[in-house]
Amino acid sequence: MAIHERSLVEPERIVRKERLVIDGVDVSGDWNLLILPRVINDYDLDFGKEVLNTPEGKTINQCYQCSYCTASCPIHNYWDERYNPRHFIYLARLGMIDELQKRVDVMWRCVSCHKCTHRCPKGVLVEEVIKAILKVMAKRGLAEEYPSKKFDKFFTESVVEYGRIEDGELLFGWIEKQGYKVFKDPILKKPIPFVGDTPEWLKQLTMKPIKSMNIDFLLLNAKHMLFHPKTKNWNKFKQVLRKVMQEEGALH
Amino acid sequence: MGVIGKRVAYYPGCSLEGAARAYDVSTKIAAKELGLELDYLEDYNCCGAMESKNVTFMGTMLMNARNMSLARKQGHSVIVAPCNGCSFSLQRAEYFLETDKAIFDKVNALLREGGVDPLDQIPQTYHILEWFYTEAGPQKVKEKTRKPLRGLKVANYYGCLYTRPHFYARTYAHAGGQDEEARPRRRETADDDEHPYYMNALLEAAGATNVEFEPMHTQCCGGPHSLSDEMVSEKFVMMILQTAKRNGADIIATECPLCHASLEMYRHRLMMKGVPDVDVPAAYFTQLLGLAFGYSANDVKLKDNLSDPLPVLKRLGLA
Repeated sequence: MAIHERSLVEPERIVRKERLVIDGVDVSGDWNLLILPRVINDYDLDFGKEVLNTPEGKTINQCYQCSYCTASCPIHNYWDERYNPRHFIYLARLGMIDELQKRVDVMWRCVSCHKCTHRCPKGVLVEEVIKAILKVMAKRGLAEEYPSKKFDKFFTESVVEYGRIEDGELLFGWIEKQGYKVFKDPILKKPIPFVGDTPEWLKQLTMKPIKSMNIDFLLLNAKHMLFHPKTKNWNKFKQVLRKVMQEEGALH
Repeated sequence: MGVIGKRVAYYPGCSLEGAARAYDVSTKIAAKELGLELDYLEDYNCCGAMESKNVTFMGTMLMNARNMSLARKQGHSVIVAPCNGCSFSLQRAEYFLETDKAIFDKVNALLREGGVDPLDQIPQTYHILEWFYTEAGPQKVKEKTRKPLRGLKVANYYGCLYTRPHFYARTYAHAGGQDEEARPRRRETADDDEHPYYMNALLEAAGATNVEFEPMHTQCCGGPHSLSDEMVSEKFVMMILQTAKRNGADIIATECPLCHASLEMYRHRLMMKGVPDVDVPAAYFTQLLGLAFGYSANDVKLKDNLSDPLPVLKRLGLA
Protein backbone atom coordinates (compact mmCIF):
# COMPACT_ATOMS: atom_id res chain seq x y z
CA MET A 1 0.00 0.00 0.00
CA ALA A 2 1.38 3.33 -0.94
CA ILE A 3 1.58 6.00 1.72
CA HIS A 4 0.69 9.45 0.48
CA GLU A 5 3.51 11.92 1.35
CA ARG A 6 5.59 9.24 3.01
CA SER A 7 8.17 11.82 4.04
CA LEU A 8 5.74 13.06 6.70
CA VAL A 9 5.86 9.75 8.58
CA GLU A 10 8.94 8.90 10.60
CA PRO A 11 10.49 5.58 9.53
CA GLU A 12 10.18 4.12 13.03
CA ARG A 13 6.41 4.55 12.91
CA ILE A 14 6.04 2.42 9.78
CA VAL A 15 5.57 -1.27 10.59
CA ARG A 16 5.52 -3.96 7.93
CA LYS A 17 4.40 -7.45 8.97
CA GLU A 18 5.12 -10.72 7.17
CA ARG A 19 1.86 -12.33 8.27
CA LEU A 20 -1.10 -10.50 9.70
CA VAL A 21 -4.31 -12.11 10.94
CA ILE A 22 -7.11 -9.85 12.16
CA ASP A 23 -10.23 -11.43 13.69
CA GLY A 24 -9.32 -14.78 12.18
CA VAL A 25 -8.97 -13.31 8.66
CA ASP A 26 -5.55 -13.51 6.99
CA VAL A 27 -4.89 -10.08 5.48
CA SER A 28 -1.18 -10.58 4.67
CA GLY A 29 -0.09 -9.14 1.38
CA ASP A 30 -2.66 -6.36 1.02
CA TRP A 31 -2.96 -4.87 4.46
CA ASN A 32 0.33 -5.74 6.15
CA LEU A 33 1.65 -2.15 6.33
CA LEU A 34 0.72 -0.23 9.45
CA ILE A 35 1.46 3.28 10.64
CA LEU A 36 1.65 3.53 14.41
CA PRO A 37 -0.43 6.38 15.86
CA ARG A 38 1.30 9.62 16.69
CA VAL A 39 1.15 10.99 20.19
CA ILE A 40 0.77 14.75 20.50
CA ASN A 41 1.88 15.94 23.88
CA ASP A 42 1.40 19.63 23.54
CA TYR A 43 0.14 22.30 21.21
CA ASP A 44 0.12 26.05 21.32
CA LEU A 45 -2.66 27.86 19.47
CA ASP A 46 -0.99 31.20 20.14
CA PHE A 47 1.73 30.25 17.70
CA GLY A 48 -0.56 30.48 14.67
CA LYS A 49 -1.98 33.76 15.94
CA GLU A 50 1.47 35.18 16.40
CA VAL A 51 2.30 34.33 12.77
CA LEU A 52 -1.03 35.84 11.70
CA ASN A 53 -0.14 39.10 13.40
CA THR A 54 3.11 39.63 11.49
CA PRO A 55 2.75 41.69 8.29
CA GLU A 56 4.14 38.84 6.14
CA GLY A 57 2.14 36.09 7.80
CA LYS A 58 -1.32 37.63 7.71
CA THR A 59 -2.50 35.40 4.86
CA ILE A 60 -1.77 32.12 6.68
CA ASN A 61 -5.41 31.38 7.51
CA GLN A 62 -6.50 31.47 3.86
CA CYS A 63 -4.70 28.18 3.24
CA TYR A 64 -6.96 25.21 2.39
CA GLN A 65 -4.16 22.63 2.19
CA CYS A 66 -4.32 21.84 -1.53
CA SER A 67 -0.53 21.31 -1.64
CA TYR A 68 -0.01 23.16 -4.92
CA CYS A 69 2.89 24.97 -3.20
CA THR A 70 4.58 21.69 -2.29
CA ALA A 71 4.05 20.29 -5.77
CA SER A 72 5.70 23.40 -7.28
CA CYS A 73 8.59 23.63 -4.83
CA PRO A 74 12.03 22.93 -6.37
CA ILE A 75 13.50 22.13 -2.96
CA HIS A 76 10.81 19.53 -2.34
CA ASN A 77 11.10 18.04 -5.82
CA TYR A 78 14.82 18.14 -6.46
CA TRP A 79 16.48 18.23 -3.06
CA ASP A 80 14.72 17.09 0.10
CA GLU A 81 11.22 15.59 0.35
CA ARG A 82 11.00 16.68 3.94
CA TYR A 83 10.74 20.31 2.84
CA ASN A 84 6.97 20.65 2.57
CA PRO A 85 5.48 24.17 2.82
CA ARG A 86 1.88 22.94 3.03
CA HIS A 87 2.80 20.84 6.05
CA PHE A 88 4.64 23.70 7.73
CA ILE A 89 1.55 25.90 7.43
CA TYR A 90 -0.62 23.08 8.77
CA LEU A 91 1.65 22.54 11.77
CA ALA A 92 1.91 26.24 12.50
CA ARG A 93 -1.85 26.69 12.50
CA LEU A 94 -2.36 23.77 14.83
CA GLY A 95 0.47 25.03 16.97
CA MET A 96 2.37 21.73 16.93
CA ILE A 97 5.66 23.28 17.78
CA ASP A 98 7.66 20.16 18.55
CA GLU A 99 6.77 18.77 15.12
CA LEU A 100 7.91 22.04 13.52
CA GLN A 101 11.10 21.92 15.52
CA LYS A 102 11.92 18.49 14.10
CA ARG A 103 11.88 20.04 10.64
CA VAL A 104 13.80 23.18 11.40
CA ASP A 105 16.91 21.73 9.73
CA VAL A 106 15.16 21.85 6.33
CA MET A 107 12.87 24.84 6.83
CA TRP A 108 15.60 27.35 6.10
CA ARG A 109 16.34 25.81 2.69
CA CYS A 110 13.74 27.92 0.85
CA VAL A 111 15.48 29.63 -2.08
CA SER A 112 12.79 32.33 -2.43
CA CYS A 113 11.83 31.37 -5.99
CA HIS A 114 8.18 32.21 -5.20
CA LYS A 115 6.66 29.42 -7.27
CA CYS A 116 4.51 28.57 -4.24
CA THR A 117 3.22 32.11 -3.78
CA HIS A 118 2.64 32.56 -7.49
CA ARG A 119 0.55 29.46 -7.92
CA CYS A 120 -1.43 29.48 -4.68
CA PRO A 121 -5.14 29.48 -5.62
CA LYS A 122 -6.13 31.04 -2.32
CA GLY A 123 -3.79 34.00 -2.34
CA VAL A 124 -1.54 32.87 0.49
CA LEU A 125 1.88 34.51 0.33
CA VAL A 126 3.42 31.11 1.01
CA GLU A 127 7.08 32.08 0.87
CA GLU A 128 6.52 35.03 3.19
CA VAL A 129 4.42 32.90 5.55
CA ILE A 130 7.15 30.24 5.84
CA LYS A 131 9.70 32.96 6.56
CA ALA A 132 7.31 34.46 9.13
CA ILE A 133 6.97 31.06 10.83
CA LEU A 134 10.76 30.79 10.97
CA LYS A 135 11.00 34.31 12.39
CA VAL A 136 8.47 33.58 15.12
CA MET A 137 10.31 30.36 15.94
CA ALA A 138 13.59 32.24 16.14
CA LYS A 139 11.99 34.80 18.43
CA ARG A 140 10.90 32.01 20.78
CA GLY A 141 14.36 30.48 20.68
CA LEU A 142 13.20 27.38 18.79
CA ALA A 143 15.25 27.84 15.64
CA GLU A 144 18.97 27.95 16.10
CA GLU A 145 21.58 29.47 13.83
CA TYR A 146 21.43 28.07 10.32
CA PRO A 147 23.59 28.99 7.31
CA SER A 148 21.13 31.22 5.46
CA LYS A 149 20.26 33.16 8.61
CA LYS A 150 23.92 33.87 9.22
CA PHE A 151 24.34 35.05 5.64
CA ASP A 152 21.17 37.15 5.70
CA LYS A 153 22.36 38.94 8.82
CA PHE A 154 25.80 39.47 7.37
CA PHE A 155 24.28 40.91 4.19
CA THR A 156 21.84 43.16 6.05
CA GLU A 157 24.58 44.45 8.32
CA SER A 158 26.53 45.51 5.23
CA VAL A 159 23.51 47.29 3.73
CA VAL A 160 22.67 49.12 6.95
CA GLU A 161 26.26 50.17 7.51
CA TYR A 162 27.12 51.49 4.04
CA GLY A 163 23.81 51.76 2.18
CA ARG A 164 25.21 49.59 -0.58
CA ILE A 165 26.75 46.17 -0.81
CA GLU A 166 30.00 45.17 -2.47
CA ASP A 167 30.36 41.74 -4.04
CA GLY A 168 34.00 41.17 -3.13
CA GLU A 169 33.43 42.01 0.50
CA LEU A 170 30.40 39.71 0.67
CA LEU A 171 32.25 36.82 -0.97
CA PHE A 172 35.43 37.03 1.08
CA GLY A 173 33.63 37.96 4.29
CA TRP A 174 31.40 34.93 3.93
CA ILE A 175 34.32 32.64 3.22
CA GLU A 176 36.02 33.96 6.33
CA LYS A 177 32.89 33.15 8.33
CA GLN A 178 33.05 29.60 6.93
CA GLY A 179 36.35 29.14 8.75
CA TYR A 180 38.87 29.93 6.01
CA LYS A 181 41.76 32.19 6.96
CA VAL A 182 41.57 35.12 4.56
CA PHE A 183 44.72 37.21 4.27
CA LYS A 184 44.14 40.91 4.96
CA ASP A 185 46.36 43.87 4.33
CA PRO A 186 47.63 45.42 7.55
CA ILE A 187 46.51 49.02 6.97
CA LEU A 188 42.92 49.01 5.66
CA LYS A 189 42.14 45.48 6.93
CA LYS A 190 40.68 44.46 3.59
CA PRO A 191 40.94 40.92 2.22
CA ILE A 192 43.51 40.29 -0.51
CA PRO A 193 42.54 37.57 -2.98
CA PHE A 194 45.10 34.96 -4.18
CA VAL A 195 46.99 35.08 -0.88
CA GLY A 196 46.03 33.00 2.13
CA ASP A 197 43.67 30.13 2.63
CA THR A 198 40.86 30.26 0.07
CA PRO A 199 38.86 27.41 -1.51
CA GLU A 200 40.38 25.97 -4.67
CA TRP A 201 37.47 26.99 -6.92
CA LEU A 202 37.67 30.59 -5.76
CA LYS A 203 41.41 30.69 -6.35
CA GLN A 204 40.92 29.47 -9.91
CA LEU A 205 37.99 31.81 -10.44
CA THR A 206 40.00 34.83 -9.33
CA MET A 207 43.14 33.77 -11.18
CA LYS A 208 41.29 33.50 -14.48
CA PRO A 209 40.51 37.21 -14.84
CA ILE A 210 44.19 38.13 -14.68
CA LYS A 211 44.74 36.36 -17.97
CA SER A 212 41.74 37.40 -20.01
CA MET A 213 39.81 40.24 -18.45
CA ASN A 214 39.69 43.96 -19.05
CA ILE A 215 42.22 45.74 -16.85
CA ASP A 216 39.81 48.58 -16.03
CA PHE A 217 37.22 46.08 -14.81
CA LEU A 218 39.73 44.53 -12.42
CA LEU A 219 40.83 47.95 -11.19
CA LEU A 220 37.21 49.00 -10.65
CA ASN A 221 36.52 45.96 -8.50
CA ALA A 222 39.79 46.32 -6.63
CA LYS A 223 38.88 49.94 -5.90
CA HIS A 224 35.47 48.89 -4.60
CA MET A 225 37.04 46.26 -2.37
CA LEU A 226 39.44 48.78 -0.88
CA PHE A 227 37.01 51.67 -0.62
CA HIS A 228 33.51 50.42 0.02
CA PRO A 229 30.94 52.19 -2.18
CA LYS A 230 28.63 54.20 0.03
CA THR A 231 25.36 56.04 -0.22
CA LYS A 232 25.70 59.72 0.58
CA ASN A 233 23.32 61.28 3.13
CA TRP A 234 22.95 57.85 4.70
CA ASN A 235 23.87 58.51 8.32
CA LYS A 236 20.56 59.96 9.49
CA PHE A 237 18.62 57.26 7.67
CA LYS A 238 20.88 54.60 9.13
CA GLN A 239 19.85 55.65 12.65
CA VAL A 240 16.17 55.26 11.76
CA LEU A 241 16.82 51.86 10.18
CA ARG A 242 18.66 50.66 13.26
CA LYS A 243 15.89 51.93 15.51
CA VAL A 244 13.24 50.10 13.47
CA MET A 245 15.26 46.90 13.50
CA GLN A 246 15.76 47.23 17.23
CA GLU A 247 11.98 47.45 17.68
CA GLU A 248 11.49 44.32 15.59
CA GLY A 249 14.14 42.48 17.56
CA ALA A 250 16.10 41.81 14.37
CA LEU A 251 19.50 42.93 15.63
CA HIS A 252 20.33 39.86 17.69
CA MET B 1 -0.32 47.38 -24.90
CA GLY B 2 -0.09 49.78 -22.12
CA VAL B 3 2.36 52.60 -21.98
CA ILE B 4 5.21 52.92 -19.51
CA GLY B 5 6.95 56.00 -20.88
CA LYS B 6 10.14 56.62 -22.84
CA ARG B 7 11.91 58.36 -20.00
CA VAL B 8 12.12 56.58 -16.66
CA ALA B 9 14.07 56.53 -13.42
CA TYR B 10 16.86 53.98 -13.70
CA TYR B 11 17.67 52.05 -10.54
CA PRO B 12 20.79 50.06 -11.42
CA GLY B 13 21.38 48.36 -8.07
CA CYS B 14 24.68 47.72 -6.33
CA SER B 15 25.75 44.84 -8.53
CA LEU B 16 25.78 46.87 -11.74
CA GLU B 17 28.25 49.36 -10.30
CA GLY B 18 30.88 46.67 -9.79
CA ALA B 19 30.82 43.02 -10.75
CA ALA B 20 28.08 43.37 -13.36
CA ARG B 21 29.46 46.49 -15.05
CA ALA B 22 28.95 44.84 -18.44
CA TYR B 23 25.18 44.77 -17.90
CA ASP B 24 25.11 48.45 -16.97
CA VAL B 25 27.17 49.52 -19.98
CA SER B 26 25.28 47.34 -22.45
CA THR B 27 21.90 48.38 -21.05
CA LYS B 28 22.76 52.01 -21.66
CA ILE B 29 23.89 51.18 -25.21
CA ALA B 30 20.72 49.22 -25.99
CA ALA B 31 18.46 51.90 -24.49
CA LYS B 32 20.18 54.61 -26.52
CA GLU B 33 19.80 52.65 -29.74
CA LEU B 34 16.15 51.91 -29.07
CA GLY B 35 15.39 55.60 -28.46
CA LEU B 36 14.72 55.23 -24.74
CA GLU B 37 16.07 57.41 -21.98
CA LEU B 38 17.35 56.30 -18.58
CA ASP B 39 17.49 58.84 -15.78
CA TYR B 40 20.05 57.60 -13.25
CA LEU B 41 18.64 57.54 -9.72
CA GLU B 42 21.08 59.68 -7.77
CA ASP B 43 22.38 58.46 -4.43
CA TYR B 44 20.23 55.32 -4.27
CA ASN B 45 20.72 52.63 -1.65
CA CYS B 46 20.62 48.82 -1.75
CA CYS B 47 17.14 47.29 -2.03
CA GLY B 48 17.94 44.59 0.52
CA ALA B 49 17.59 41.86 -2.13
CA MET B 50 16.19 38.52 -0.96
CA GLU B 51 18.35 38.49 2.15
CA SER B 52 17.34 41.49 4.24
CA LYS B 53 13.65 40.68 4.08
CA ASN B 54 14.32 37.56 6.14
CA VAL B 55 15.84 39.67 8.87
CA THR B 56 13.64 42.75 9.04
CA PHE B 57 10.31 43.58 7.45
CA MET B 58 10.01 47.28 8.20
CA GLY B 59 13.69 47.76 7.37
CA THR B 60 13.26 46.52 3.79
CA MET B 61 10.11 48.60 3.39
CA LEU B 62 12.10 51.66 4.43
CA MET B 63 15.07 50.93 2.18
CA ASN B 64 12.80 50.60 -0.87
CA ALA B 65 10.61 53.53 0.13
CA ARG B 66 13.73 55.69 0.23
CA ASN B 67 14.52 54.77 -3.39
CA MET B 68 10.92 55.44 -4.39
CA SER B 69 11.09 58.80 -2.68
CA LEU B 70 14.26 59.67 -4.62
CA ALA B 71 12.49 58.77 -7.86
CA ARG B 72 9.57 61.01 -6.95
CA LYS B 73 12.01 63.81 -6.17
CA GLN B 74 13.43 63.49 -9.68
CA GLY B 75 9.87 63.72 -11.00
CA HIS B 76 9.26 60.11 -12.03
CA SER B 77 6.32 57.82 -11.43
CA VAL B 78 8.04 54.82 -13.05
CA ILE B 79 11.21 53.07 -11.89
CA VAL B 80 13.00 50.58 -14.11
CA ALA B 81 15.37 48.04 -12.58
CA PRO B 82 17.57 45.69 -14.62
CA CYS B 83 17.92 43.16 -11.79
CA ASN B 84 15.29 40.59 -10.84
CA GLY B 85 16.15 41.03 -7.16
CA CYS B 86 15.85 44.82 -7.26
CA SER B 87 12.61 44.88 -9.23
CA PHE B 88 11.21 42.20 -6.91
CA SER B 89 12.11 44.16 -3.79
CA LEU B 90 10.64 47.40 -5.11
CA GLN B 91 7.49 45.68 -6.31
CA ARG B 92 7.14 43.90 -2.98
CA ALA B 93 7.33 47.21 -1.15
CA GLU B 94 4.84 48.65 -3.65
CA TYR B 95 2.41 45.80 -2.89
CA PHE B 96 2.59 46.20 0.89
CA LEU B 97 2.44 49.99 0.76
CA GLU B 98 -0.59 49.89 -1.52
CA THR B 99 -2.57 47.24 0.29
CA ASP B 100 -1.82 48.25 3.87
CA LYS B 101 -2.55 51.84 4.85
CA ALA B 102 -1.02 51.39 8.33
CA ILE B 103 2.34 50.36 6.83
CA PHE B 104 2.19 53.26 4.36
CA ASP B 105 1.62 55.82 7.11
CA LYS B 106 4.31 54.36 9.33
CA VAL B 107 6.83 54.29 6.48
CA ASN B 108 6.09 57.91 5.61
CA ALA B 109 6.57 59.00 9.20
CA LEU B 110 9.88 57.14 9.39
CA LEU B 111 11.03 58.57 6.05
CA ARG B 112 10.45 62.08 7.37
CA GLU B 113 12.38 61.18 10.50
CA GLY B 114 15.26 59.93 8.36
CA GLY B 115 15.51 63.17 6.41
CA VAL B 116 13.88 61.91 3.21
CA ASP B 117 10.77 63.34 1.56
CA PRO B 118 7.68 61.24 2.33
CA LEU B 119 5.91 59.53 -0.56
CA ASP B 120 3.05 61.45 -2.14
CA GLN B 121 2.43 58.65 -4.60
CA ILE B 122 3.85 55.14 -4.94
CA PRO B 123 5.91 54.80 -8.13
CA GLN B 124 5.49 51.63 -10.20
CA THR B 125 8.48 49.41 -10.82
CA TYR B 126 9.09 47.51 -14.03
CA HIS B 127 11.80 45.13 -15.09
CA ILE B 128 13.95 46.54 -17.86
CA LEU B 129 13.06 43.68 -20.19
CA GLU B 130 9.36 44.52 -19.91
CA TRP B 131 10.16 48.15 -20.62
CA PHE B 132 12.26 47.33 -23.68
CA TYR B 133 9.58 45.08 -25.07
CA THR B 134 6.71 47.48 -24.43
CA GLU B 135 8.33 50.75 -25.43
CA ALA B 136 10.59 49.56 -28.25
CA GLY B 137 9.50 46.07 -29.15
CA PRO B 138 10.83 43.48 -31.61
CA GLN B 139 9.98 45.67 -34.62
CA LYS B 140 12.28 48.46 -33.46
CA VAL B 141 15.03 45.94 -32.64
CA LYS B 142 14.74 44.56 -36.16
CA GLU B 143 15.06 48.04 -37.66
CA LYS B 144 18.14 48.81 -35.60
CA THR B 145 19.92 45.49 -36.20
CA ARG B 146 22.95 46.00 -38.39
CA LYS B 147 24.77 42.74 -37.68
CA PRO B 148 22.16 40.00 -37.18
CA LEU B 149 23.11 37.25 -34.72
CA ARG B 150 22.73 34.69 -37.50
CA GLY B 151 23.30 31.11 -36.43
CA LEU B 152 23.51 31.86 -32.72
CA LYS B 153 21.42 29.44 -30.70
CA VAL B 154 20.29 31.09 -27.48
CA ALA B 155 18.73 29.63 -24.36
CA ASN B 156 16.78 32.43 -22.69
CA TYR B 157 17.06 32.22 -18.93
CA TYR B 158 14.53 34.43 -17.12
CA GLY B 159 15.10 33.34 -13.55
CA CYS B 160 12.57 33.27 -10.75
CA LEU B 161 11.44 36.71 -9.90
CA TYR B 162 10.93 38.26 -13.32
CA THR B 163 7.29 37.15 -13.49
CA ARG B 164 6.82 35.69 -10.03
CA PRO B 165 4.97 36.09 -7.75
CA HIS B 166 2.02 37.65 -9.54
CA PHE B 167 1.09 39.60 -6.40
CA TYR B 168 4.16 41.74 -6.83
CA ALA B 169 4.98 41.45 -10.53
CA ARG B 170 1.29 41.67 -11.53
CA THR B 171 1.66 39.12 -14.26
CA TYR B 172 -1.55 37.25 -13.60
CA ALA B 173 -4.81 37.98 -11.87
CA HIS B 174 -6.74 35.02 -10.63
CA ALA B 175 -9.02 34.50 -7.66
CA GLY B 176 -6.50 35.02 -4.94
CA GLY B 177 -7.37 36.27 -1.51
CA GLN B 178 -10.72 36.79 0.15
CA ASP B 179 -10.54 40.54 0.04
CA GLU B 180 -11.78 41.80 -3.32
CA GLU B 181 -9.79 45.03 -2.97
CA ALA B 182 -6.52 43.29 -2.16
CA ARG B 183 -6.68 41.05 -5.22
CA PRO B 184 -3.84 41.62 -7.63
CA ARG B 185 -4.59 43.28 -10.94
CA ARG B 186 -2.82 42.16 -14.07
CA ARG B 187 -0.63 44.81 -15.62
CA GLU B 188 -1.32 45.34 -19.31
CA THR B 189 2.35 45.33 -20.18
CA ALA B 190 3.19 42.23 -18.16
CA ASP B 191 4.87 39.20 -19.64
CA ASP B 192 3.24 35.76 -19.62
CA ASP B 193 3.61 34.44 -16.09
CA GLU B 194 4.57 30.80 -16.64
CA HIS B 195 5.91 31.05 -20.18
CA PRO B 196 7.69 34.39 -20.47
CA TYR B 197 8.65 35.25 -24.05
CA TYR B 198 9.80 38.89 -24.18
CA MET B 199 13.50 38.04 -24.30
CA ASN B 200 12.88 35.32 -26.91
CA ALA B 201 11.05 37.84 -29.08
CA LEU B 202 13.72 40.57 -28.77
CA LEU B 203 16.63 38.23 -29.51
CA GLU B 204 14.78 36.57 -32.36
CA ALA B 205 14.23 39.99 -33.86
CA ALA B 206 17.99 40.51 -33.55
CA GLY B 207 18.52 37.41 -35.69
CA ALA B 208 19.23 34.73 -33.08
CA THR B 209 17.59 31.32 -32.89
CA ASN B 210 15.88 30.35 -29.64
CA VAL B 211 16.23 26.80 -28.39
CA GLU B 212 13.59 24.96 -26.40
CA PHE B 213 14.38 25.71 -22.76
CA GLU B 214 11.22 25.03 -20.78
CA PRO B 215 10.80 24.50 -17.90
CA MET B 216 14.35 25.46 -16.96
CA HIS B 217 13.88 29.05 -18.19
CA THR B 218 12.30 29.97 -14.86
CA GLN B 219 14.01 27.38 -12.64
CA CYS B 220 15.75 28.87 -9.61
CA CYS B 221 19.56 29.11 -9.74
CA GLY B 222 19.93 28.98 -5.95
CA GLY B 223 19.51 32.73 -5.76
CA PRO B 224 19.90 34.05 -2.22
CA HIS B 225 21.48 30.75 -1.16
CA SER B 226 24.24 30.84 -3.80
CA LEU B 227 26.81 31.22 -1.07
CA SER B 228 25.09 29.81 2.00
CA ASP B 229 23.70 26.57 0.54
CA GLU B 230 26.25 25.47 -2.02
CA MET B 231 25.06 21.93 -2.68
CA VAL B 232 21.54 23.01 -3.67
CA SER B 233 22.77 25.84 -5.90
CA GLU B 234 25.20 23.50 -7.59
CA LYS B 235 22.46 21.02 -8.42
CA PHE B 236 20.07 23.69 -9.71
CA VAL B 237 22.71 25.31 -11.90
CA MET B 238 23.72 21.89 -13.21
CA MET B 239 20.14 21.23 -14.27
CA ILE B 240 19.91 24.60 -16.00
CA LEU B 241 23.22 24.33 -17.85
CA GLN B 242 22.75 20.71 -18.90
CA THR B 243 19.27 21.39 -20.27
CA ALA B 244 20.62 24.32 -22.27
CA LYS B 245 23.58 22.35 -23.64
CA ARG B 246 21.58 19.24 -24.49
CA ASN B 247 19.00 21.33 -26.33
CA GLY B 248 21.80 22.67 -28.50
CA ALA B 249 22.34 26.16 -27.07
CA ASP B 250 25.58 28.04 -27.84
CA ILE B 251 24.97 30.61 -25.15
CA ILE B 252 22.63 31.40 -22.27
CA ALA B 253 21.08 34.86 -22.30
CA THR B 254 20.44 36.25 -18.81
CA GLU B 255 18.63 39.31 -17.51
CA CYS B 256 19.65 39.38 -13.84
CA PRO B 257 23.16 39.98 -12.45
CA LEU B 258 22.55 37.61 -9.55
CA CYS B 259 21.47 34.70 -11.77
CA HIS B 260 24.32 35.52 -14.11
CA ALA B 261 26.93 35.45 -11.35
CA SER B 262 25.48 32.26 -9.91
CA LEU B 263 25.48 30.51 -13.30
CA GLU B 264 29.06 31.55 -14.06
CA MET B 265 30.41 30.69 -10.62
CA TYR B 266 28.84 27.24 -10.46
CA ARG B 267 29.59 26.52 -14.11
CA HIS B 268 33.24 26.89 -13.21
CA ARG B 269 32.93 24.65 -10.16
CA LEU B 270 30.97 22.00 -12.04
CA MET B 271 33.58 21.97 -14.82
CA MET B 272 36.31 21.54 -12.19
CA LYS B 273 34.44 18.46 -10.95
CA GLY B 274 34.22 17.07 -14.48
CA VAL B 275 30.42 17.18 -14.81
CA PRO B 276 29.47 16.71 -18.48
CA ASP B 277 27.55 19.17 -20.67
CA VAL B 278 27.85 22.26 -18.52
CA ASP B 279 30.22 24.39 -20.59
CA VAL B 280 27.64 26.86 -21.97
CA PRO B 281 28.80 30.44 -21.46
CA ALA B 282 26.40 33.15 -20.27
CA ALA B 283 25.90 36.70 -21.56
CA TYR B 284 23.43 39.43 -20.69
CA PHE B 285 20.70 39.82 -23.28
CA THR B 286 21.63 43.48 -23.64
CA GLN B 287 25.19 42.45 -24.59
CA LEU B 288 23.76 40.33 -27.41
CA LEU B 289 21.47 43.18 -28.49
CA GLY B 290 24.49 45.50 -28.46
CA LEU B 291 26.41 43.13 -30.72
CA ALA B 292 23.45 42.99 -33.09
CA PHE B 293 23.27 46.79 -33.16
CA GLY B 294 26.80 46.82 -34.56
CA TYR B 295 28.83 47.47 -31.42
CA SER B 296 32.10 45.64 -30.86
CA ALA B 297 32.72 42.99 -28.22
CA ASN B 298 34.75 45.51 -26.29
CA ASP B 299 31.95 48.10 -26.33
CA VAL B 300 29.57 45.70 -24.58
CA LYS B 301 32.39 44.46 -22.29
CA LEU B 302 32.15 40.80 -23.22
CA LYS B 303 35.52 40.24 -21.56
CA ASP B 304 33.96 41.00 -18.17
CA ASN B 305 32.02 37.74 -18.28
CA LEU B 306 33.78 35.06 -16.25
CA SER B 307 32.38 32.31 -18.45
CA ASP B 308 34.01 33.84 -21.55
CA PRO B 309 31.45 33.75 -24.38
CA LEU B 310 33.98 35.24 -26.85
CA PRO B 311 35.21 31.95 -28.44
CA VAL B 312 31.65 30.86 -29.25
CA LEU B 313 30.76 34.23 -30.75
CA LYS B 314 34.04 34.39 -32.70
CA ARG B 315 33.43 30.93 -34.15
CA LEU B 316 30.11 32.16 -35.54
CA GLY B 317 31.73 35.38 -36.77
CA LEU B 318 29.66 37.61 -34.49
CA ALA B 319 32.35 39.24 -32.37
